[in-house]
Amino acid sequence: MKEINMDRMVVLVVDDDEQIRSIIKDYLIMFGFKTIIEAKDGADAYRFVLDTVQRIDLIISDWEMPRTDGLTLLRAVRKHHARHKTPFIMVTSQQSQEKLKITHAKRHSVDCYIIKPFRADVLKEKVMQALKLFEEKKEAS
Amino acid sequence: MSQAIKKLLPQTSFTEAVSTSSIYTYNWRVLIVEDEPAIAEGIQAIIAPSSKIIPIQRSSRQKAATAGTDTGNHIIDKFEVVWAKNPTDAIQYVKQSLVDNKPFAMGFFDVLLGAEIDGIELVRQIHTFDPRMYAVFVTAYHDRSVDSINQILGPDKADRWDYMNKPFTDGSILQKARNAVSMWNLKQQKKIQEEQLAEASNLLLQGERANTVAAVGRSVAHEFGNLLMRIIGHAEIALMKGDIMTMQNSLNTILKAGDTAAAVLTKFKKMHNPEQETDFQIISINQSLDEAIDLMGHEFKKKSIKVTRPIFQNCTLEANHHSLVQVFMNLFINATHAMPTSGQIDISVAKIVNPEEPNSAWIEIRIRDHGPGIPEEILPLVMDPFFTTKGQQGTGLGLGICKEIIQSEHQGEFSVLNHPAKGLEILIRLPEHQEAEDEGN
Repeated sequence: MKEINMDRMVVLVVDDDEQIRSIIKDYLIMFGFKTIIEAKDGADAYRFVLDTVQRIDLIISDWEMPRTDGLTLLRAVRKHHARHKTPFIMVTSQQSQEKLKITHAKRHSVDCYIIKPFRADVLKEKVMQALKLFEEKKEAS
Repeated sequence: MSQAIKKLLPQTSFTEAVSTSSIYTYNWRVLIVEDEPAIAEGIQAIIAPSSKIIPIQRSSRQKAATAGTDTGNHIIDKFEVVWAKNPTDAIQYVKQSLVDNKPFAMGFFDVLLGAEIDGIELVRQIHTFDPRMYAVFVTAYHDRSVDSINQILGPDKADRWDYMNKPFTDGSILQKARNAVSMWNLKQQKKIQEEQLAEASNLLLQGERANTVAAVGRSVAHEFGNLLMRIIGHAEIALMKGDIMTMQNSLNTILKAGDTAAAVLTKFKKMHNPEQETDFQIISINQSLDEAIDLMGHEFKKKSIKVTRPIFQNCTLEANHHSLVQVFMNLFINATHAMPTSGQIDISVAKIVNPEEPNSAWIEIRIRDHGPGIPEEILPLVMDPFFTTKGQQGTGLGLGICKEIIQSEHQGEFSVLNHPAKGLEILIRLPEHQEAEDEGN
């Protein structure tokens, strides 16, 4: 399996809470990522998705956001001809609805989900899992 | 004993859910208070022909206690007969029957008992601890008029006794016993059903409140998720980076997040404090609206719902703040369901004075959403309990409970109409609080 080279990768972080975005960004930099782009909701993120020049290797998106939520973004990404394989990590904060959401998100092939609040090592594990899955799929096809 | 048990209430899951006593045991227990054994046996022979009654020995508590359960001697057919020779025994048996939860439905009371008290005084005393028991007075003499008995027992017990003169016919004895026993059981069943109904409606009300709390709970969970994320995230970042500047910034952020979490918690606690739920206070309608809007803030944000609320004059009323918050929250929750992706809620408050009654004003609150509204043909149904347009999502109690709170608890008016332009409009009218007039005038 190929080594995952985080240096050149671009991660899109989507959350309406600016402080949460900044924490995830700090975590990602500590993991070794260099380029992180941010969006405050699904619609804002979708601008990056539509921009064909923009490289996106991984999307980490909150579920609950005003205007366009994470699930809508996930659906849009999965439908996009060039982006449909992009690894997608869904972030949620509600334990009680977790199950419902996971089945929902699975239907739209989310790669991983993570429940807020989470520690850095948990996020790291999920990120690596999503990226490895992507590599495996790429090798298989 | 099994013949004596009648299952009168069908056992359903619903009654089972609200009460453990869903099987009703028909009470056939009859007490005969008579100093003359031949007469006691005579009555017993009529109402329970093939049984043999045995007087319970005085001063034997144990025997008295088991009298009701000892089925061998007194019970044939349906009536269960116990004989007391004198007033002292009678009082003891009735008291014991309550302890054993096997009360007497009725008793035949000889008026002249040859004791310190007569049958009427005995029944008066029994009614002080067992007011449900029916009494049929039996006497050979016209020694007491019906009116004098009524005076002794009191007008509130007028339907709890009957009267017959010796010599009596078999039929009249049997019929008096049947009437009294069935009256006792009907009243008892009615009481149980009323209790079950009250319990059921209380459960439903609690359930609906729980739904409101759950909606707020979800928003609290979301807020806490984010706040804890800030706390954990900044602590980790500070530890990993290790420089003073980062640590100071992180600690400040952590403190702020902690303060916010405490404020969220206070808000949530305030919302569901059962002790405050019955309080009627003089409040401003703005207070209740503000709190409901605040509690729904997260849902509004999530669903991209804009709330418009012009500044209006301060309207005070005497109301249960917590009930009103619940009403507004139910309406807001309905509105968010009607506008799942985005929308607007318009709130207006106005004071309305009827020219014919210038001293009493109404506070009119209108809450309008910009959703699809409700088809006119089902509009009259929306306040019926269990009517819902939301499938599994709704209990169908929300609007019914809102109406109940506004109309019954606050003597106000509650109506639902489609807005001429778009959406559903809820119209609430509540009586304005009147400053007390000078009493001397």
